[in-house]
Amino acid sequence: MRSHKVIEIRNLTPSTYIIRMEKNDFTFKTGQYITLGFSGSIDRREYSIYSSENDEHLEVLIKEVENGLVSKKLKRCKPGDKLDIDGPFGHFSLQNDEINKKKFLFIATGTGISPIHSFIATHPEMDYRLLHGVRKEEEAYERDSYENGNYILCTSREKTGDFHGRVTEYLKQNPVSSDTVCYLCGNCHMIYEAYDILEKQGVQLGPIHTEVYF
Amino acid sequence: MKKVAFKTLGCRLNQYETDAIASQFQDNDFQLVPFDKEADVYVINSCTVTHQSDHKSRNFINQANRKNPNSILVVTGCMANNAKNELESREEINYVVENDRKSSVFSLVEAHYKGEILHPSKLNTDLFSYGSTEKGFHTRSMVKIQDGCDNFCTFCIIPSVRGRAVSRPIQDILDNVRDVISNGAKEVVLTGVNIGRYEFENYKFDDIVEQILELEGDFRLRISSIEPDGFGDKFLGLLNHPKMTPHLHLCLQSGSDPVLLQMRRMYTIKRFKEIVDRVRSVRSDFNITTDVIIGFPGESDQDFDATCNIIKELQFGHVHAFKYSIRKGTRAERMTEQVDEKIKTKRSELLRGISDQVKKQYRTEFIGKEQIVLVEKTNGKIAKGYGEHYIPVEFSGEELKKNHFYKVKIKSMTAEDEPVLTGEQMI
Ligand SMILES: Cc1cc2nc3c(=O)[nH]c(=O)nc-3n(C[C@H](O)[C@H](O)[C@H](O)COP(=O)(O)OP(=O)(O)OC[C@H]3O[C@@H](n4cnc5c(N)ncnc54)[C@H](O)[C@@H]3O)c2cc1C
Repeated sequence: MRSHKVIEIRNLTPSTYIIRMEKNDFTFKTGQYITLGFSGSIDRREYSIYSSENDEHLEVLIKEVENGLVSKKLKRCKPGDKLDIDGPFGHFSLQNDEINKKKFLFIATGTGISPIHSFIATHPEMDYRLLHGVRKEEEAYERDSYENGNYILCTSREKTGDFHGRVTEYLKQNPVSSDTVCYLCGNCHMIYEAYDILEKQGVQLGPIHTEVYF
Repeated sequence: MKKVAFKTLGCRLNQYETDAIASQFQDNDFQLVPFDKEADVYVINSCTVTHQSDHKSRNFINQANRKNPNSILVVTGCMANNAKNELESREEINYVVENDRKSSVFSLVEAHYKGEILHPSKLNTDLFSYGSTEKGFHTRSMVKIQDGCDNFCTFCIIPSVRGRAVSRPIQDILDNVRDVISNGAKEVVLTGVNIGRYEFENYKFDDIVEQILELEGDFRLRISSIEPDGFGDKFLGLLNHPKMTPHLHLCLQSGSDPVLLQMRRMYTIKRFKEIVDRVRSVRSDFNITTDVIIGFPGESDQDFDATCNIIKELQFGHVHAFKYSIRKGTRAERMTEQVDEKIKTKRSELLRGISDQVKKQYRTEFIGKEQIVLVEKTNGKIAKGYGEHYIPVEFSGEELKKNHFYKVKIKSMTAEDEPVLTGEQMI
């Protein structure tokens, strides 16, 4: 376990924030996650790494969950606070031999966009489309990070997104070609449904690339 | 001669580690005695994966203390990590040794007898420095290739008690295997917490298996428990190697995709079935055994039915089922839809009925066929051991010897819940 100093908190919405920390000598593979908690505290949770492999600092994107313990505590952290990091963990990673050759479809709900952001920030040359499922437009976290046209916002509670409805509805209406490599991250109900739809559309998911948050 | 008794709970890795520690005691003139006998030293290698395992470990601590209150009582294993403070506060326990220092249990006891009281935290931390186990309790020689797990399945406490995944250097493993073979081991079993994730320099799990299979000697290789996300085509291609035994313990955990997702297991039922099909295409009678968790939070009747159905469909040779119990600090602890204990018990009974039936069906298929049995116990005329599929076999013959392979013609099967194949030696 290593202790990392908080540099800055960026509030994106009233409930969602980014914690930027010193990176020190920490290395990871884009897509991986860490466990995070205040130094010395036993309450720790998993968070995907939001920043790129090459950034000078380390960032996580967190949404404060209703009645949540750690996501609420972390929201109150301040520059200079020390956070304990363990990891990196996980196998939600890009295959090196596919990165510049394949067409990618990333599907995320809510903060599930975090490892995808890291993928794209690490490999900006990738050929990708990103489907982001949220309730409201304000949850289109830092959408300017993605090239125009590659990012498709699906809003379920408002008509303000590029598509009104869930990502699964979008997928049904916009079938995916079978040679697409798909990465799914976020809520497990979305992952379950999207997986089924993609499979019916003939996408060879091979070993599935999924990261379940809750 | 001083006497030492061991009790091992939980997984095969614990079993291996106990065997290795026991060998060290034996090499240093200790006599091994059964755990329910009076001994000078008791070592409990505990487990903490379920409430039940914690409970059992506590019972064995009490039992050892009753047998000989003046004994040296050492508690190691996963409960020593998970409930360290509780165990350290119990006066009857002399030493609480965490997993990463387990291999030094003998030096601790040795020092104790020399009047040196070492604190376990001063012991060496080495996950792989166990000696060989040829004098242990089994004919099969286990070789530890890996420790720890980074998968963080939501129900599982292992990452916090066994630590991060660490792989043993390939050369050490090969040397260890050569060593046990030259000491007469006829069956080598690879163990670890998540062996499919073996990774050392550029070597992966299938590379290790390939290199072991290429070693010379009269032995067979058994893979213990493996996760379905841990292997690819190369490994599947090695399954028909003459030294490879047709048995895999592939952890399923649930037959329902929504539950698997909540568990953060990295495969779908479809993928699991594909693997089983591929394995059985190598050998249709391949023994696939599995683990199942009953009553994971949110498991509906429908999810449970799906588990029962897949057990019937895939004809598992054995199902190790356990009721889900909350483990502190895991994600599943925080899940809201915990299943009622009574429902879990009912489901367990149902599932046990199904898996016993499937096991019987599977084993019946061996009647009339041949098995190569490695003898573990014999009086010369009757011998017991395991066939290549890891099914128990009892057979009759002439001048039968322990730790030898025999070709056996299977004639029938006993009627117990754990049916044993019975047969005759083929000349
Ligand atoms: C591999 C992995 C990566 C993750 N990455 C991120 C990330 O990048 N950003 C992020 O914000 N979260 C991420 N999470 C979720 C995160 O670990 C915590 O679960 C989340 O922050 C809630 O923790 P808490 O202590 O506040 O809530 P808890 O006190 O643990 O839970 C309170 C209640 O909220 C429910 N709950 C838990 N998580 C969520 C959720 N995400 N949405 C709605 N309800 C929930 C719980 O079931 C519980 O009933 C990730 C989870 C995993 C497994």
